[in-house]
Amino acid sequence: MAAKPGAATPTYSPKLVGRSRLPIFKDSDLDWTRPDGRGFHQCRPALLQTGAVSSASGSAYAEFGNTKVIVSVFGPRESKKAMTYSDVGRLNCNVSYTTFASSTLGQGTDHKEYSSMLHQALEGVIIMETFPKTTVDVFALVLESGGSDLSVLISCASLALADAGIMMYDLITAVSVSCIGKSLMIDPVTEEEGCEDGSFMMTCMPSRYEITQLTITGEWTTPNINEAMQLCLDACSKLGEIMRDCLKQSTSASDE
Amino acid sequence: MGLPDSSQDLTSEMEVDAFRRIFPLRFFERHLSESLRPDARPLDKARDTIVNLGLVSTADGSALAKIGSTTMLAAIRMEVMTPSTESPDEGCIAVEFHMPPICSPIVRPGRPAEAAPVISKRLSDTILSSGMIDLKELCLVSGKAAWMGYLDIYCLDADGALFDAALLSAVAAFSNLQIPVVALNDNGRIVAISDEKEQDNASIIEEEAVNKEKRKLTLKNIPFSLTCILHKNYILADPTTEEESIMDTLVTVVLDSSDQMVSFYKSGGEALAYSSSIKSCVELARKRAKELKEILGEMDVD
Amino acid sequence: MVGISLGEQHFIKGGIAQDLRTDGRKRLTYRPIYVETGVIAHANGSARVKIGGTDVIASVKAEIGRPSSLQPDKGKVAVFIDCSPTAEPTFGGRGGEELSSELALALQRCLLGGKSGAGAGINLSSLLIKEGKVCWDLYIDGLVISSDGNLLDALGAAIKAALTNTAIPKVNVSAEMADDEQPEIDISDEEYLQFDTSSVPVIVTLTKVGTHYIVDATAEEESQMSSAVSISVNRVGHICGLTKRGGSGLDPSVILDMISVAKHVTETLMNKLDSDISAAEAREEES
Repeated sequence: MAAKPGAATPTYSPKLVGRSRLPIFKDSDLDWTRPDGRGFHQCRPALLQTGAVSSASGSAYAEFGNTKVIVSVFGPRESKKAMTYSDVGRLNCNVSYTTFASSTLGQGTDHKEYSSMLHQALEGVIIMETFPKTTVDVFALVLESGGSDLSVLISCASLALADAGIMMYDLITAVSVSCIGKSLMIDPVTEEEGCEDGSFMMTCMPSRYEITQLTITGEWTTPNINEAMQLCLDACSKLGEIMRDCLKQSTSASDE
Repeated sequence: MGLPDSSQDLTSEMEVDAFRRIFPLRFFERHLSESLRPDARPLDKARDTIVNLGLVSTADGSALAKIGSTTMLAAIRMEVMTPSTESPDEGCIAVEFHMPPICSPIVRPGRPAEAAPVISKRLSDTILSSGMIDLKELCLVSGKAAWMGYLDIYCLDADGALFDAALLSAVAAFSNLQIPVVALNDNGRIVAISDEKEQDNASIIEEEAVNKEKRKLTLKNIPFSLTCILHKNYILADPTTEEESIMDTLVTVVLDSSDQMVSFYKSGGEALAYSSSIKSCVELARKRAKELKEILGEMDVD
Repeated sequence: MVGISLGEQHFIKGGIAQDLRTDGRKRLTYRPIYVETGVIAHANGSARVKIGGTDVIASVKAEIGRPSSLQPDKGKVAVFIDCSPTAEPTFGGRGGEELSSELALALQRCLLGGKSGAGAGINLSSLLIKEGKVCWDLYIDGLVISSDGNLLDALGAAIKAALTNTAIPKVNVSAEMADDEQPEIDISDEEYLQFDTSSVPVIVTLTKVGTHYIVDATAEEESQMSSAVSISVNRVGHICGLTKRGGSGLDPSVILDMISVAKHVTETLMNKLDSDISAAEAREEES
């Protein structure tokens, strides 16, 4: 499941479109090479796999560098007894960490913040009208946290939902960007997240070209936001293609 | 009860599925009478087993074990503790088994599975009583400092025989465990030494290093387990969730590498076990232990 | 929230489309803002802000604490929000909890800046008393008394006012001490330090109804929204935080446009709030 031999690891690296600019690593006031030797605008190789958990309706495993997550989707199944009638479906999300997920966290816990953000990111894409009176449960476990956890979780969850056959308007892809000094770095790792001046996380529907979720913290100038958004949009559409390929592969494999 | 008319239940794919859901017991008994299981295994055969080592970079030792689709991820983190006064030169192992909501439809967030603490306790008992690990090896400074090994096992996919898979992943994680290099500093605290630093001022470290190089634990008497279902006259090795839910008499036999019995569980259930069937269970477990030993042995070579 | 009839819905939407909202405002006009400081006597700082029918109180409490081992050179700030069931019956139970944590999260995002501390409204380093040993823990509590939309902006303004109102006692640390010991501290009850709140951003929420977006939406208008973007902007015009609510997607260009509108709106709002806060402070001192 985690490291199947022979599984291809597609890489993707977004390019800045429409503008020519000096390479950012020549920026004289910042002497920084990324811990894993990537370029500033280069994402980590993405390994995606559907069908990681046999007992779930749909599931996916995602590995971006050291960030490893599993998402299972259960349902649509009967809502909790206490719930009142609803003519649209419900979505229930939960994110938890393993005790060994990061070297500093120390204990495995439910992550309320990520649970609600995952919920917000997904609720707009799922066509809730297709499963009235029932609930779809999206449960995620972060096996190892290596940075950009939330965006990996969201992309992986949308893959799991697709694997479960839940109707969606589009696949959902998420990418984060960190701002350190004057540089923007896509898909930051934990070390970079620890010293960032600002973070930018965007989820979008690549085919519809719509942003469903956007969070910014730290200090940002408008040109920086423009640039980060362009980077994210680019990376999202590439990630979307990788996810689509992954789904195509899994269906063609099951047809055989 | 009587077996259903074969002309009715095998007319189409769909009806087999419906029959399986409505009369699960009859469906299974029909298979058992042909000495075959729905997944095409003979009764005494365990599912394909895979072990992968060292997948978690944040842990000191880790392993992923897969029996059929049951998947377990075990990871060990080593921390330093002050040993108790009764056993000043022994370390400690804390075992915890988790069933996160992703692994099975019956687990919901905030409502943990009932099975998890039971398996947790059984694993801890088995690992400690088997004598696989010499706790004295975990000692750093007698009476002052010893290793505390936190073994956490996460069930990623639950499809029966959870205990077997969990124990296998735990054993594999121990075989993968690298005890980190540490030294005693002036304040009597244990500090970690990175590899580069050790080379820089090797002379100073030489005196203080308590654990000079990365080392592995010596594992003796490795325990291997096999869970079987007893149903009427049949013994089914390595059951899936579906089989466990239909036929509820489970027997787990744990044998160590020299075929000594470490533990034996029979957790109630409808069927009563005759001594003859227990003997067959142990015999199956012995065969299985040999298989698992080979699988683990292959790992060590790598 | 009382249900709105189809006719009313059309009326609200139509008004917004024609730049004349049901209460006579334009799309980018705020309701009257009323600020009062020093409303809670035993807090280090407090303020009450009313925007139309929305009424919130924020209080700041400072306690001596220990810096976390990860950031030994910084104090700590925690934001809690409580949505009182008296404000809205749906706030009772789970509904209130969810909204409260969502608001608290959005405020943290807007006020505390990035991990390195850039863009933070509160300079965490200024809360430090002795590195690795003693620091101030700031507890910011927000209470929603009455709710008529635009809670986040009101809470943001109330916290800004409460921080301006906050006085923290001066602390003297005894210089001599061993490495491991906790230093002795002496809290002065005469000398107080004021906060520099010039960098605290203001939050502007743009609510999208139909194809247009409005500031300071009432609860009625919020019920018709497709999505809302809360943007916090500081005095120099940098974006300090952004949160999007509502499930429906937005075109990237719309978001960029919203950001520039928000920056424009903040300029006037920031000046208005600042003068309101200083007026309130002056009133408090008189009384």
